[in-house]
Amino acid sequence: MKRTLLLLVCLAPVLAYAQGDELESPGTVLAVQDRTYRMVSELWIGVGIAPLDAFYKGLTGQVGYVYHFSDYFAWQVGRGLLSYNIKTGLRNQLETQFGVSPTAFPQLNWIVGSDVMWTPIYGKTSWLNGSVGHFEVFGTLGGSVINERIAADVASGTGQTVFRPAVHLGLGARIFTSKGVSFRLDFSNEFVIYKGLEANILLVQLALALNFGGTE
Amino acid sequence: MQSATAAAVTLLLALPGLAQAPAPQSTPPAPGSKPPAAAAPAPPAQPTAQAPRPAGAPAPVPAQAAPAPGPAAAPAQAGAPPQQPAGQEPPPKVDPKIFDEALKDYFDNKQEQAARKLYAFIESTPPTDENYAWAQYFLARCLIDLNLRHGGAVYLAKVAHERSNPQVLPKTLEALKVLTLVPHDEALIDEQIFGSLDLGFLPDSVSDYANYQQGLVDLRVGNERWARTHFVKLDEGGVEASRAKFALLVTRLRNAKGVVDDQMIDDFLELSKDEKLTMEARNEARLAVARLRYEKKDYEGALKAYDMVQLPSLDPGRATLYLEEAWTRYNLGQLRATIGLLTTLDAPSFRDEFLPDKYILRALVYRDLCQYLPAKRAAKELTRRFSDSLESIRERDDLTQDFRLRRAANSHGSTKRASRYLESLNLESENLGRHAGGFGDRLYKHLTKIYDLARAEAERVYQQRLRDAVREEADKLLRADEQVRLMEYEVGLKLYERVKRGAKLVQPEKQASLTSAQIAFKFTGEYWNDELRSYRVSIPSRCLEEGAQ
Repeated sequence: MKRTLLLLVCLAPVLAYAQGDELESPGTVLAVQDRTYRMVSELWIGVGIAPLDAFYKGLTGQVGYVYHFSDYFAWQVGRGLLSYNIKTGLRNQLETQFGVSPTAFPQLNWIVGSDVMWTPIYGKTSWLNGSVGHFEVFGTLGGSVINERIAADVASGTGQTVFRPAVHLGLGARIFTSKGVSFRLDFSNEFVIYKGLEANILLVQLALALNFGGTE
Repeated sequence: MQSATAAAVTLLLALPGLAQAPAPQSTPPAPGSKPPAAAAPAPPAQPTAQAPRPAGAPAPVPAQAAPAPGPAAAPAQAGAPPQQPAGQEPPPKVDPKIFDEALKDYFDNKQEQAARKLYAFIESTPPTDENYAWAQYFLARCLIDLNLRHGGAVYLAKVAHERSNPQVLPKTLEALKVLTLVPHDEALIDEQIFGSLDLGFLPDSVSDYANYQQGLVDLRVGNERWARTHFVKLDEGGVEASRAKFALLVTRLRNAKGVVDDQMIDDFLELSKDEKLTMEARNEARLAVARLRYEKKDYEGALKAYDMVQLPSLDPGRATLYLEEAWTRYNLGQLRATIGLLTTLDAPSFRDEFLPDKYILRALVYRDLCQYLPAKRAAKELTRRFSDSLESIRERDDLTQDFRLRRAANSHGSTKRASRYLESLNLESENLGRHAGGFGDRLYKHLTKIYDLARAEAERVYQQRLRDAVREEADKLLRADEQVRLMEYEVGLKLYERVKRGAKLVQPEKQASLTSAQIAFKFTGEYWNDELRSYRVSIPSRCLEEGAQ
């Protein structure tokens, strides 16, 4: 009983303070604005890298099309990536000094896939207190088909091209520059579904997105 | 809310400002830059062509330019330009070739040297010399390029008054017209030059502007008929014609004395769509439409006119615009939207604005929502914020010394123009000191004298206007203070009113939900200029339903 009373005595000033504040400046204020930029049909083209593999670094080019059902939800109908792979020093060393066959190294060739896109964050930012920029942050989840070259037999140095399914998970941000043009930065990972050599492929990409049918 | 008369006065106060509002196509010459290529190189060729002299030879007319045998000969020259006060050294005689050297310096971007040489030439040459007016013109251009605009204006005004060389006149008037875009000596340029020019001999480029200025002068003294004789001469498709229409409408509004007809509103509306006017002038026309509709109690129409006001991107706009819109919405019963606009007026951009009405309106809204404590607090905020000024008024102090009242008086109308002109003169005077070495002793002393005189006169005019303006602001504050007392009394009664048995709160008003195209940012006290017209307030009413026992 005493504890309850003590608790009530302690809480009373807090409640009174909250009520006093409400009485002095009642209500809440929202800045309600029309969205400056709204995406509808998006065609994008990007360049990036696949930096994770120790034996090669992939320079990637990718195109895709996204249909935005609303400001929050979109379907990345299709995307296709082609990778141009550059040998690392380690691979060169293995090939020249240890006689490992070039075909013994697994590497990414291309990827196609489709995802859903969720855009929970839309915001604006100030540039040097002189202009206002708008941006959004989105996540993607989908499936991909990956074409890789794998080493069939490392000992003999033979390789073969295979298709692998993968789960695509990504996070990206978009900066709007006008009604029709925006730039997006994507970080994504392909979780390759195969008990094999390569478990995942990380991709970093910068893309130019063209929006058709949007409003400003 | 201002009455129609008050609106007319506001517009009239704004009118000279609009008259001098920057025309889109003209820009003042950049300091330190060369004059436009099309305009600048031509003039020096002309005087040289008109006054051909063999290079290196003395001037052919000894009476005009040949070196005089001694200082005693100088006063003998008819109409020698600067009168030498007793005790001052007479100007040294200079070779007339110094004029050509000065022009070369000017076009080589050496304005200081050019100014010194041109002044020496002007001092030692009679006004009848054919290069005399050109020298004055180029001295003015040098001074303007060096950001000594008033000094430049004085010399341009001399050329315009003396008219000794008709070829210099058009360029001089054009340069003067450009100077009207920045704070300038209104008596010298607007009244003594453009207001009194002989319009028959003016080039087309400035005749419209001169006609417009002369019409304005007539309007200001209440002679509309004479003003119209000037305005009818304006090119119908020109900027001045549109500005003249605006000036006439404002005059009609002033003379209407509260009687507003639809034709006047339509005329202002038409003017608000005139692309030849500056954005500021078009906005003034829209505000006039809104104010007139408000006076006719057409609040919806007034809101439409306020919505038409266009602001540049991220421009916070004017506090009076928001306050007037807030009054309009209050009269439409849009209490929460009114509070939204009053939130806008608390933005840092408007913190220094003198808006006693703001506190009254906020208190009225809270009172109507039966939020009595906030209402009382909002009303008292006025007396708290302006306590020093109210004390000064009650003590009958010198109101021009009151910081808030002085700032309010300086923020609009003729006092603002006088204040800005005085400020620019002070800056130019400081700037003059930096050129003391380059100008040489004689020109520096001469310009110092010009600036001292100008500053003394500008200070006198400013103080005169300030005294009248602070009285008006003080009256406004006193009226608001009186309203606050009434409000406090009324709210005090309501606060202690007995609540009837079975009383229930009124049903909360349904808030408009966000559409899919809208986005909401919660306001936490950080103001963004792009949001100033977007605040939406959610505030419950504490009023009780009628019919309780």
